[in-house]
Amino acid sequence: MNQREGYTDDVVKGFITWSIIWGVVAVLLGVVISLQLAFPQLNLPPYLTYGRLRPIHTNAGIFGWGIGSFMAFFIFITQRLTKTRLWSPGLARFQLYLFNVVIALAALTLMLGFNRSKEYAELEWPVALLVVVLWVIFSINIIMTIIKRKEEQMYISLWYIMATLVGVAVLYLVNNAAIPISLTKSYSAYAGANDANVQWWYGHNAVAMVLTTPPLALFYYFLPKSTGVPIYSHRMGIIAFWSLVFMYLWTGAHHLLWTPVPDWVQTLAMAFSVMLIAPSWAAVFNGYFSMNGQWHQMRENYLVKFLIFGVTFYGLQTLQGPSQAVRTFSAFIHYTDWIPGHVHMGTLGWVSLILFASIYYTVPKIYGREIYSVGLVNLHFWLAVAGQLIFSITMWVAGIQQAAMLHATNPDGSLHYSFMETLVEMYPYWHGRALGGIIYFASLLIFVYNIVKTVTAGKPAAVTQKA
Amino acid sequence: MDLASGYYLGVTFLLFAVFAAIVARTYSRKQRERGEAPKYRMMDDD
Repeated sequence: MNQREGYTDDVVKGFITWSIIWGVVAVLLGVVISLQLAFPQLNLPPYLTYGRLRPIHTNAGIFGWGIGSFMAFFIFITQRLTKTRLWSPGLARFQLYLFNVVIALAALTLMLGFNRSKEYAELEWPVALLVVVLWVIFSINIIMTIIKRKEEQMYISLWYIMATLVGVAVLYLVNNAAIPISLTKSYSAYAGANDANVQWWYGHNAVAMVLTTPPLALFYYFLPKSTGVPIYSHRMGIIAFWSLVFMYLWTGAHHLLWTPVPDWVQTLAMAFSVMLIAPSWAAVFNGYFSMNGQWHQMRENYLVKFLIFGVTFYGLQTLQGPSQAVRTFSAFIHYTDWIPGHVHMGTLGWVSLILFASIYYTVPKIYGREIYSVGLVNLHFWLAVAGQLIFSITMWVAGIQQAAMLHATNPDGSLHYSFMETLVEMYPYWHGRALGGIIYFASLLIFVYNIVKTVTAGKPAAVTQKA
Repeated sequence: MDLASGYYLGVTFLLFAVFAAIVARTYSRKQRERGEAPKYRMMDDD
């Protein structure tokens, strides 16, 4: 009944399409830079080097694929949970154009070498300003829709959506405070350890507000919609939400353990990081308990398979993350290849599996067609999981070996291995990582093919779905 | 501990108090049915 009710689904189609395109770019670039590490001769200076392409990979992945999809689903979900049409469809259409302009400008400027040298906040100030405009119009549209809702009580997904809108705005504005000296260059408003502290307050909470709260909003919406059974406990979801929001914002300094940042700030970040296991696993348990009596759907319902595997990776991620935030463990694995293994379990496992499920659920609904091939969905799923696991496990093993070598000392206290010796030992693992990336990319191409065929040649869905 | 650290700690405790109030309200007997109602209403056909 979406179009009949006047829900703005044309913009949802646009955002899904473009987020998939940027997602393909992101994973393709990921494969390219993994090969550039494994085979250094593939670096073609000045534009096609690891240093130039890596931030484009992360920006296309987090902002193009991630944020683009979240914009689609926030618009889709908010209208349905509030039983209210989008406040301004025209603004949403403008937002879609601006979104693509921003991502394209980001890719172009980063390739040209304009970079603030802050991870996940690389964009120079003119592009960052456009990001602010984009986020403001998006937030206004969603919040106004929620304000004029026809449902009095808000479902848990709406809380996560609002936290995302507010959280990203605060983080982005504070960390991007800078003094421009030209159109293409600016300096941070902060200095030294303060700058590092603000950067990682932003950096880690980008994980919170872009890679945690939005997928949770989607998970809480699409799991019950896919299984046909309500979520186990809405109240537990609410408590988990508030505790997550309360705890997350204090954890950024765990990226700066053993640095000149004050010791008590590091300890606070470490403590809050460990405490964060509770709300994270409350969401995981809420998902698992919702499956009571429904586990057979893991075999029969491909959406459930994506969602439950996704939330399981979230659970593993939120055990591994707090462990890494403990000083002693951090001293061992920080600055090694363990870290990309951890990050990619979150992005390829948790976030992307939830997004794939959301797209597989939504596209047939808004196009009024059945999915083209369930067989291809299953192939996509298993290749994606295999590719992600090969990537992450390879990097964890690499990280442990690298850490052990970096910390090995002779009886006189001198280092046993030079840095170059540790680097050379990484090559077999980098080949393994590239293989994992290629498998994941292959799964993505199958996904794209299936979605395109669903839109262009899928069987018309049953009337109740299609209308 | 300097003044800034004390302020930081104070804000933390204040937020914890707010959080504790949210927990108490969400799990109060009055809220039992009302707190779970949205999960059923969201299942309406969309």
